[in-house]
Amino acid sequence: MAGKSLVSEARQTQLAIDLIQHGARLQLLEAETTLSRERLPKLYKEVRGVSPPKGMLPFSTDWFISWQPNIHASLYIDIHRYLLTHAEIRGIEATLKAFKLYLEHCQSNHAEPVLSLTRAWSLVRFFDARLLQTTPCTRCGGHFVVHSLELYSNYVCGLCRVPSRAGKTKKAAEQARAVGLQRAA
Amino acid sequence: MDNAQLLNEIRETNLTYLLLAQRMIKDDKAAALFRLGITKEAAELIEALSPAQLLKIAAGNMLLCRFRFDNRILGDMLTGYVKDKIMASSHAAVLMAGQGAEPIAA
Repeated sequence: MAGKSLVSEARQTQLAIDLIQHGARLQLLEAETTLSRERLPKLYKEVRGVSPPKGMLPFSTDWFISWQPNIHASLYIDIHRYLLTHAEIRGIEATLKAFKLYLEHCQSNHAEPVLSLTRAWSLVRFFDARLLQTTPCTRCGGHFVVHSLELYSNYVCGLCRVPSRAGKTKKAAEQARAVGLQRAA
Repeated sequence: MDNAQLLNEIRETNLTYLLLAQRMIKDDKAAALFRLGITKEAAELIEALSPAQLLKIAAGNMLLCRFRFDNRILGDMLTGYVKDKIMASSHAAVLMAGQGAEPIAA
């Protein structure tokens, strides 16, 4: 790299640390920072105390369409888009900032974040590659994540028309039982 | 509540709002724009206000912060989600994030 400066390297390292702390995987770090492949795993281990996970990233767009991930993904991409249009920030900065705002939303509502930073990043990339897009819900007007190149003239979002089994996972049932037991005791 | 007290409280609210907004914008502009729901121009204007100007603006008989919810968002937050509060807030958040920012009237 021509004109390699210590200042820019320090900035890149700081960015990488921030990303790692928010759960970024190596593929994301390799794509978004200029640090070398040898240094990133070392940095990762130093920040998190464990070796980075191996293997490929999930590459299917379908995950973002299923009910609960879709709500979270839609919220995230709406925040991201807001930042792009109004705050005029770009790239990984926008991705990370939108992710922090999304985490804040989850924390303030005591909801478990479904999206990880790596997922959020791939979501943005899917949007850039035009594999996914948003479409307005005909009932509430909110913008939701959908596959590109399909017809959505009568689209109703997963929050206006909640599927009957939505949110009824094993985990939710166990939590409900635990609360019930607590009350009984 | 008599009128003088009302005006006093409006001024205090305005001042608190402006000071908070200014601090948020100085801290992290991008996040502040999202949280405040205002445009970049409005944010730059608020950021540049001096304390004296701030006091002057705050001391009016009108509130400076505006209601951000329209009927739809409010309705979504209040109704329909008796069981699941997280869903209500998520829905409201999706709608709010999809809204545009409040521009400065030309």
